[in-house]
Amino acid sequence: MARIYLPLFLLLLLVIEGVALDFLPQRIFSEQWIIIPHWLLVFLLMIAVFYDFENTYFSVLYAIIFGMLIDIVYTNVLGVYMFSYALVVYIIHGMKKLLHLNLFVVLLYTVIGISLADFFIFTVYLFIGADSISWEAYASTRLLPTLIANGLFLFLIYPINRKLIQWSIERDEKAKSS
Amino acid sequence: MSFFRRKRLFIILVGFIILVGLIGFSLRDRDELSTFEQFLHDTVGWVQNTIQVPVQFTTSLIANIEEMRNVYDENQILKARLSQYKNVLYEVQELRQENEELQTTLNKTESITDFEPIQASVIARSPEQWFKMVKINKGKQHGVEPNMAVITGDGMIGKIQSRSQFTSTVLLLNGFDRSNRISVNIDLTDDEEDMTGFIVGYDEDEEALLLELNQSQTDVSEGELVFSSGMGGVFPKGLKIGTIKEVTPGKYGLTQVAYVEPSADLYNMNHVIVVDRSAAMPEDNGNTQAGEEE
Repeated sequence: MARIYLPLFLLLLLVIEGVALDFLPQRIFSEQWIIIPHWLLVFLLMIAVFYDFENTYFSVLYAIIFGMLIDIVYTNVLGVYMFSYALVVYIIHGMKKLLHLNLFVVLLYTVIGISLADFFIFTVYLFIGADSISWEAYASTRLLPTLIANGLFLFLIYPINRKLIQWSIERDEKAKSS
Repeated sequence: MSFFRRKRLFIILVGFIILVGLIGFSLRDRDELSTFEQFLHDTVGWVQNTIQVPVQFTTSLIANIEEMRNVYDENQILKARLSQYKNVLYEVQELRQENEELQTTLNKTESITDFEPIQASVIARSPEQWFKMVKINKGKQHGVEPNMAVITGDGMIGKIQSRSQFTSTVLLLNGFDRSNRISVNIDLTDDEEDMTGFIVGYDEDEEALLLELNQSQTDVSEGELVFSSGMGGVFPKGLKIGTIKEVTPGKYGLTQVAYVEPSADLYNMNHVIVVDRSAAMPEDNGNTQAGEEE
């Protein structure tokens, strides 16, 4: 089941990111705060932490595919999201054994992951000249609000973790029996 | 273990090389999206179209409730204006008729003001806010071409950046730079002649478009209207762009630079019109004239 549901849910998140600015509060924008919805990445990190085993890399595969989709559909520079999402998901995948998993540890991973990814994306865009704000302005007007907003999103979708663990076990049993 | 580490590093480096290659590929001046990209745009666009309906319904419902509070006041003002408009309407009809008659006597059937509207809905906005882009649900199959102007009822909002078969991407005015300038006229109220200039970009701090004026002697006051002049050959004449906010001397004091506030709301729009300029492009014009001479 997970084979169908996971890509579908990721696709849904990808599409909702595109209309997110319609229902995110408008007032935040007038105060120069910019929120980038990295919801796809948040869910990819959940997959990396709860669904993948140490020797499976489904989350990285999904990160590459859906990162590429974001690049094509929402930006006109290819490869940036693809590379940064895949790299970040891979790093978190490697880190997940360090701490015992609970909501706050996952929140910590999400914060680390999103900061890394967003920072990487910003750096690349700065180099190719798609944007030109200073580092300080970036940190205060973009990184901080983005972290808060995506952290809130994590609380929203965190209950899915039971389902992910269940799917993960089912897949494991199937792999063993065949 | 060290073998695996080396392999891991190797993969990351290869990934990095691919990243640089892809960025280089996409930063070239591309006229056309590749078939693969067009396919993905359309497929995702289809899903976006379906999702957008309930989202827009909910958001517009909330906006409607907020607007209802002001309905009474607005109604009073509108009623007062309505009587004025009746007079203006009569005048406009007279002028239009006269204009048509004059044009037929001149044997001039098409003008750079004419355009064919293509109605479209906004289905998504780039969450990555460096890219001032929105996606609309009309594409090549509906007659959309790159570089067409996109307007709302309030004025111009941008131009078509790329299009696939059933969807297209619009570059908003606040994402414009020197490579896509707009030739504009400024409607001076106390002068017969219009003033000309170029929109050369967008100033993030001022939140206004940068307008380089062609003449520096004339005084331009705040609040003057800025229209597209149709001289660039891409956009039709007479699209409203904005109003002058401030005029300052340019970098070297030789030119004047004005800040123009866009008249359309670039952050909140659902329905847009893609403007298909009817008058032939300059190069086509040249061909037909050459043909006639023969």
